[in-house]
Amino acid sequence: MKDVKPLKEFEGTESYVLDPELRKIVNISIALEMPLLLKGEPGTGKTLLAHAIAQDLGLKLIVLNVKSSMKAVDALYQYDTLTRLNDARFGDSKRNVKNIEEYIRMGKIGQAFNSEARVVLLIDEIDKADSDFQDDLLDVLDQMSFDIIEIDKTIKARHRPIVVITSNAKKDLSDPFLGRCNFHHIAFPSAEIMHNIAKAHFPEIEKNVANAVINTFYHLRRVPNVEKKPSTRELINWIRALQNDPGFNAGQLGKDGYVPYLGVLFKKSLDLEQAKMYINS
Amino acid sequence: MFVPFFYELRAHGIPISPTAFLRLQKALNLGLVTTLEDFYIAARSIMVKSERHFDVYDRLFAHYFEGVEFQDPLDKELEDAVRSMLLEWLKDPKELANLLGLDPKEFNKYTPDELVKYLLDRLKEQTERHDGGSKWVGTGGTSPVGHSGYHPGGMRVGGAGGGGQAIKVALERRWKDYAFDGPIDASQMSEGLKRLRHLKPEGPKDLVNIDKTIYQTMKNGGEVEIIFDRRLKDKLKVALMMDNGGWSMDPYIDVCRTLFTYATTNFKQLKTYYFHNCIYDRVYEDPQRSLRPRKTADFVRDDPETRLIIVGDASMAPYELGDDHGCIEYSEPQSRSGHWWLSFLARTFPHSVWLNPKTREYWEITAGAYTISKIAEIFPMFDLTLEGLEAAVKYLIKK
Repeated sequence: MKDVKPLKEFEGTESYVLDPELRKIVNISIALEMPLLLKGEPGTGKTLLAHAIAQDLGLKLIVLNVKSSMKAVDALYQYDTLTRLNDARFGDSKRNVKNIEEYIRMGKIGQAFNSEARVVLLIDEIDKADSDFQDDLLDVLDQMSFDIIEIDKTIKARHRPIVVITSNAKKDLSDPFLGRCNFHHIAFPSAEIMHNIAKAHFPEIEKNVANAVINTFYHLRRVPNVEKKPSTRELINWIRALQNDPGFNAGQLGKDGYVPYLGVLFKKSLDLEQAKMYINS
Repeated sequence: MFVPFFYELRAHGIPISPTAFLRLQKALNLGLVTTLEDFYIAARSIMVKSERHFDVYDRLFAHYFEGVEFQDPLDKELEDAVRSMLLEWLKDPKELANLLGLDPKEFNKYTPDELVKYLLDRLKEQTERHDGGSKWVGTGGTSPVGHSGYHPGGMRVGGAGGGGQAIKVALERRWKDYAFDGPIDASQMSEGLKRLRHLKPEGPKDLVNIDKTIYQTMKNGGEVEIIFDRRLKDKLKVALMMDNGGWSMDPYIDVCRTLFTYATTNFKQLKTYYFHNCIYDRVYEDPQRSLRPRKTADFVRDDPETRLIIVGDASMAPYELGDDHGCIEYSEPQSRSGHWWLSFLARTFPHSVWLNPKTREYWEITAGAYTISKIAEIFPMFDLTLEGLEAAVKYLIKK
């Protein structure tokens, strides 16, 4: 499981604006071989971080999208009983029905363990599944191995994957699980960082436009009584919408209630009403 | 050298396992940490597992490693309390200016931060607790700021004394209890609420049970026989009513919000309503309690099997519960007393509970003891601890 060549440090990519603190945390987690658990508001770039790590280190990314009904074993492997039943009955495939191993399919974690090269494994939105899921994954991630009960075989990771886990903080994760992860909470980016993010997405954006848009954006994040505050994702979409509007006047933005495409930022109708009231008041 | 720091963190309630500490040592040995800044980041990401503790960590770290004075949490909490109240006050700046004895024009010159400072200075002038005096802050006094003196709607005059509000909350440091060993922790909450999902087979048998199919096929000597099961369908309907008004619920709102979030993910059918202090003719579907009212009487049309969960501290002035015109919100129509409406809901939904964020041992000694006991006669009341929730769930599942 030892890596032959040491990885270079993760430095961020062109399209992912990384703050130095987070970079340090990523590198510490890689060095300590610990999963990195990321929490934070939606749209703060938790998932993208895993993509950026994979891209920067030149590794393959395997994504496990957790669903609410998912069981831990689904992420490890599946025993395809139905195909086997079919084969046993009609016998028209080349598979050997007596050999159960031919009916075992690897799940995402299984694939990550079986991979020839080191990979980045992203377990996305782990809080969606119930706590049994986390508990069952504990040992797997700790030992970097799991058993396939049906054929009594142990799958061991050839190379310890870099594990990134994200959580939308809907639920707290169990203590033993937290104990095995490094933790970071991605705060909502400051206006300064937001400028860099906007720049990374729209290299040609003019400075005064960016200023006006971002100032208005932060202003709108202060609208009271809003269920879902606009996040980075909404800002990017909003800039895109504004740029495609030939009549858009950056100098007027935010003045006299001039805020076009407000619906891009506020997606719930109640929030939208609140925002409109806020702007016009 | 970091061992005392480690214990300091633990002493301040950050749950750090020795393993995490050893892991930090490992990181240090690996040469990953070269500067104090590195140490700050590494130690936090390895040892502190919740953003709720980040603030404490920051303050302790500053104290420990840079000699910056670790601020007395009381000051901090006071400030937080004042800040949260300020938001409420600022909705009516004129009233606030009057309260502070400032000219409204003068008042406009203050930034919110300055106002907070001003208020904090006022609070600190008072060196000891006193009730019934005429000074600035206290309980049951005649002064405008403090318990029972002021209500954002400008209505709460007279009132029943006794405490339970606003600044007193801050002075008694009751938040402290909720930070660590107070009512339920979010991870436990999920466990408790999960029990509410009682799975009841209903609907057609349309799900293939592969294990049974294989077993039966084998028994038939290879002749395929497909076994169908019923889908496990969660038919539980839940109505959640939350008291989200007034300062007396302020310390609990976070707890309630956690409960609420869990509830949304745990049930298929869930409706949430909001009220202030007590339920009268209307409850609201929006947290601001203005846009989407629903007549309380209309609940009679809902499925009586719906589980009704009311979350509130049940602490209010006796007239708010017993009087036909007891509602403290001017604009709120009221035809009968809160007591009548609560009894009505309890009759409409036989499966109902009241969850109280105040823990049971305070029920008899807190400011709202009278109304708590009255409401507990109408609804089975449980506190918002793991035990309380378990009992509530058990009660709700009963047929």
